[in-house]
Order: sequence, then structure tokens, then C-alpha cells
Amino acid sequence: MNVKTSTLPKRYHEAVLRWKDVFLPDYDFLLENWDKHFPNDPEFQLCAYRELGMCSEIECGDLKGKPKAQKAGDLLPEQAHHLFGAIRAQASTEFGSIQQHRLTLARAQEEEEQFWILRMMAEELRHGYQMLHLLVEDDWSSVSKESASDLIEDVLSMNTGSHLLGAFNIDFDSFVDNVVFCALIDRVGKYQLAMQKISAYKPMAESMPQMLREEAFHLAAGVVPMRRWVTAAARGETFVTMEVLQKAINKWLPRGLEMFGDERGGGTNVRFGLKPMKNSEAQAQFYQEVEKLVRDLNLRYLRARIADLTHAGSETALDRVLAGETVEGIRCEDLLYVPAMEFFRRRGVPSFRLAGAQGETFATVPEYLQHLVRTLPEAYRASRDFKDYVEALTAVQEGRMTAEQAAGRMPALRRVAGACPCSKSVRWMVDDPVVVSAPQLARPVTGQPVA
Amino acid sequence: MTETAAGIRIRPLDELDISAIVAIDEAISGRYRPEVWERRISYYLRRAPEASLVAEVDGKVSGFMLGEVRSGEFGLEEPTGWIEVLGVDPAQRGKALGRKMAEGMLEHFRSHGAHSVRTLVDEEREDILTFFSSLGFEPAGLRPFVKHLEDRRPG
Ligand SMILES: CC(C)(COP(=O)(O)OP(=O)(O)OC[C@H]1O[C@@H](n2cnc3c(N)ncnc32)[C@H](O)[C@@H]1OP(=O)(O)O)[C@@H](O)C(=O)NCCC(=O)NCCS
Ligand SMILES: [Fe+2]
Ligand SMILES: [Fe+2]
Repeated sequence: MNVKTSTLPKRYHEAVLRWKDVFLPDYDFLLENWDKHFPNDPEFQLCAYRELGMCSEIECGDLKGKPKAQKAGDLLPEQAHHLFGAIRAQASTEFGSIQQHRLTLARAQEEEEQFWILRMMAEELRHGYQMLHLLVEDDWSSVSKESASDLIEDVLSMNTGSHLLGAFNIDFDSFVDNVVFCALIDRVGKYQLAMQKISAYKPMAESMPQMLREEAFHLAAGVVPMRRWVTAAARGETFVTMEVLQKAINKWLPRGLEMFGDERGGGTNVRFGLKPMKNSEAQAQFYQEVEKLVRDLNLRYLRARIADLTHAGSETALDRVLAGETVEGIRCEDLLYVPAMEFFRRRGVPSFRLAGAQGETFATVPEYLQHLVRTLPEAYRASRDFKDYVEALTAVQEGRMTAEQAAGRMPALRRVAGACPCSKSVRWMVDDPVVVSAPQLARPVTGQPVA
Repeated sequence: MTETAAGIRIRPLDELDISAIVAIDEAISGRYRPEVWERRISYYLRRAPEASLVAEVDGKVSGFMLGEVRSGEFGLEEPTGWIEVLGVDPAQRGKALGRKMAEGMLEHFRSHGAHSVRTLVDEEREDILTFFSSLGFEPAGLRPFVKHLEDRRPG
């Protein structure tokens, strides 16, 4: 493997370390206990990795076959503008996710799982670092008036936690959120990273392989505890029930789907050679993976509930239960489902519809809210985020606002400098920076989600 | 990721392969051991997610081969590729899934600086011995020794 490591200039590196001292105070504890939990794994290093020997020609879009840009100055102005917004947003969200995880990390019941999440947080710090490195190592003056140190300060101050305006927060309520977030939201991250591996901006492409390696474990740190929990639930242990897991999935999946950006968008990225897939294509693949995850969890549950079931037998039993039969006392309601694509959406094509978690539709807002009461976690329903959603939904349904207008009022990282819109919000989706000269694009709606 | 004939695809392992691997192991060994594979696959995913491979036949995971590059084992200082666990669904054997996964892993090991690849095979497992021989593996100078430890736990 041909990888080059480097660090940020000293003062920026130290700024990240100071940020880490505040928001990832268990970092040293992790390193001290690294060998106990990850014996013989290479020690964690806070640095940027660049994979060498990657493809040098643009892999998709209008400029396919042309040499990739080694420097921001080699990019077309619109490309540079687009990419700059993406990198900055990604940096801020990598840091932001650490703050979310931190809220409930201490509530893990198993030490192993807690260390997995802690390691994941350290790696998210590295991801943020990697993005800062892209900003600092190049000259972005053609698209930004800010100096490198201002850029870094902006990103790091966005996450100071000093302005926790609830409107932009989706808090973690328990360790279930840490885990389900990894299984679902880091999965979106995996797609973004995998797509950016072909980026026409070579330093971006070269940054992806190591991040993807780390992301593979982040997904396991989500999926494996979920598998263990469904097994415990099947045995009647009540730490995390199927209902609790389902509600956490319902809370996060809609946000994950929205992180792909508007279903109609993404064409700009493809044309610019920055990503190979449009938003809806990537979103559909992601959704299929979640279907696979949920099916696996259900199979695991069935086998823990019904003794002597074979693998093939469990597949058959699952299909029967899903078709409405009761098998050995297990009913469809006992299992997990994947919430419908349209459920509880506030951005994108299905935003602010009265669409139920299992594809049903509701006629009135009160009926829909009753449905949300049944399908979302109680703690989440007490949040500001939920309240804002309900207000926006009501306004749309009463015709006082269009869905687009309402979407614009929901959490989004639309501006990325200065006063922080959030600190522990869900990873932000950024609307495209204003497209400089692409009049053929009616709607600049590409999402710039994050790992 | 390699796409080959007859709907066969070799790709890196991921966390959603756990169920399929549990099932393949169950078909081979007759034991259902999800916990074992959850832990093991987490291990490989956190260490070298591209090194370990699965083989799909028409979209269904039908084989797996797990391993990584290590140095310092058994006094072997140079980086060495290790193939540690493998299995092909009995219903899908003889379609070169094993060979293709091994080729993929060897390629990965090579690109990660390994000059040799090793594995340990139970001498009584003729099938696996022949499998590795046909891939060009030969007996190595290392002889495994074992001493069984008596249980001294109280009670
Ligand atoms: C060994 C195993 C991986 C082979 O998988 P496979 O996909 O059927 O193998 P391939 O089709 O790629 O065969 C490759 C070569 O191995 C040889 N081979 C494979 N299985 C063999 C067997 N049972 N006996 C003798 N030779 C065999 C083939 O003849 C072939 O040689 P060739 O290419 O020179 O003709 C598979 O049989 C298996 O999973 N066995 C059980 C493994 C196990 O017990 N795992 C748990 C402990 S780690
Ligand atoms: Fe991640
Ligand atoms: Fe990340």
C-alpha cells in the first residue's frame, strides 16, 4: 500500500488538539487502553493520509478522460466553488458528529461496544482533520476570501457547543442512538466517501481510501451491537427491546435519506466529475442496504426465539411472518421493518407528506401526529427539532407554506462560516453553494452529506 | 472488486456479510455461531477491510476468505500475508470461488508489501491441503506444536 501521511502546520494541528481536549476528552483514555481493546492494531494517529497511485484521469462527467486537478487552481471556477463548499461542510460535520456521540457515550452497557464507539469518534476526528488538510494544503483564494486560519477557526468554532440552539439539534437520547447512528448515518457517509473516491480533484480522491477503511469499522460498530440487541430482545431481556430499536431506526433513517440531497439533484456533481452517481441512485442503493440489514436482524431474532431452526428454515419462517402468519407465537409486529422512503420527511421530493412508516397515508395532521407518537422515540418527541417539524408540517398542510419553503426552515448547514448554527445537530446537509454559471440546472439541490 | 464469468463476483468483506458467513459456516460445520462471526468479522473490518474477500454467485454471498498482512509472527519479521479462515458454500464448490478469492487476496497482500503468504491447515483435511497445493502453496519449514493445558480453575 502506498500511503503518504502528513500533518497540518503546527498551529492548526494544535488547534485541533485543543478542540479534541474539549469535545473528545476520552481520547487519551482511548489511547491508553488501545492495546487492551485493539491488540496489535496500529496505533491511532491524528494525521492526514493520501493514497498514492490512484487514477489520474477524470472518471465521469463532461471532462471524462481529462487529467484530474492536482490543485484547486486547476479546477473550473464552478467546480472549485462546488467542491470547496463540500469539503468545508464535510469537515464541520465530522467534528459535529463527535459532539453528538459524546452526549451518550457513557451510557453504553458493554465496555467493548463503548470502546468501539470511542475509537470511531477518534477516527471521525481524523476525518475532520483530513478535510481541514485539504483546505489548508491548497490555495482556495479563487473561491473564498478567507485565509487558511480563518477557515480552520470557522470549522472548529462551529462546534464549540456554545450556542446550542435547539432548532438545529437532533440529540442522542441513549446509547441506542450512538449505535443506530453508526449503522445508518455512517452508512450514508460510506456512500459519500465511495463516490468521492473518483473525484476530479485528486487530493480529494486520495483522501478517501483510508477514510473508507475506517468507515467499514464504523458500520460494524453499529450493526454488530444491533445484532446482539435483537438476540437479547428475543430472549426476553429488556435492555433494548425491538420497539426501542424500531423507533430509533424511524428517527434516523429519514434523516439519512435526506443526506443524499434532493432526489431530483446530484447531476452537477456527476457533470463535474466529482461523484459518479446522482442523489436518487445513491439513495436507492443505500435504502436497499438498510433493507438487507433489517432482514438480517429479523432472522437473527427468529433464530433466537425459535429453537432448532435451520438457516433455510429461518428464511421461510421470516417470509411467513412477514406475509401475516403467526409462527411459533411470533407476529409481524414483533419484528423490525424499514420505514417507508416517504415517512417523516422534511426535505426532498416526499417532504411534509402525511406518509406513514409502513407506507400508509393519513388524511389529517392530527391523525398523522398520532402515528408519529406511536412510531418515534418519546424522548425525541420532546425535542425542539420535533416541535419545529410539526409546526412546519402544519403550515404546509394548511396551505400557509409550500413544502420547499418549509424545508428551507428545517436544519441545514446553509452558511458555513461564523456564528454556529448548531453544535450537536445531525450531520448537516448543505444546499449547493450558489451555482455560479450553470443556467441549465433549474434546481441546485445537490446535497453534500457527510461521513 | 472483480466481476467474472457466470455471475461470480469477488469483493471486499463488509458488515452485512455476517449473516451469509454464519450460514456458510453452519452448512460446513453444522454449528450456528453468530457471536463468533460477529466478533471475528468486526476484527477483520477494523484491521484491513480490503484484505478479506467474499464471493457472490448471482448476488448471493457463497464464499469467504479472511486474512491480513502481519509481521512479527513466529519470528517472521517481513510482512507476510495470512489466509486465516475460509469457507465456500458446499452447494457452490468446484466453481473456482476459492481460487478466485485466494487470487484476490494474494494481489492485495502483494500490494501491501508481502513477499509470501502463509496459512495453517489441519493435516487431516485433505480437501483443504489439496486446495492450497493446487494454488501453488507448499509445506513450509514451520512445524506447529501444541500442548494442551489442564484446567486449573477452581471448582
Ligand atoms: C476448500 C474450499 C475452500 C474449496 O473451495 P472451492 O471454491 O470449491 O474451490 P475451487 O473451485 O476454487 O478449487 C480450487 C482448486 O482446489 C481444488 N479443490 C477444491 N476442493 C477440493 C477438495 N475437496 N478436494 C480436493 N481438491 C479440491 C480444486 O480441484 C481446484 O484445483 P484445480 O484448479 O487445480 O482444478 C471449500 O471446499 C471449503 O470451503 N471447504 C471447507 C473449508 C472449511 O472447512 N473451513 C472451515 C475451517 S477454516
Ligand atoms: Fe464514520
Ligand atoms: Fe467520518
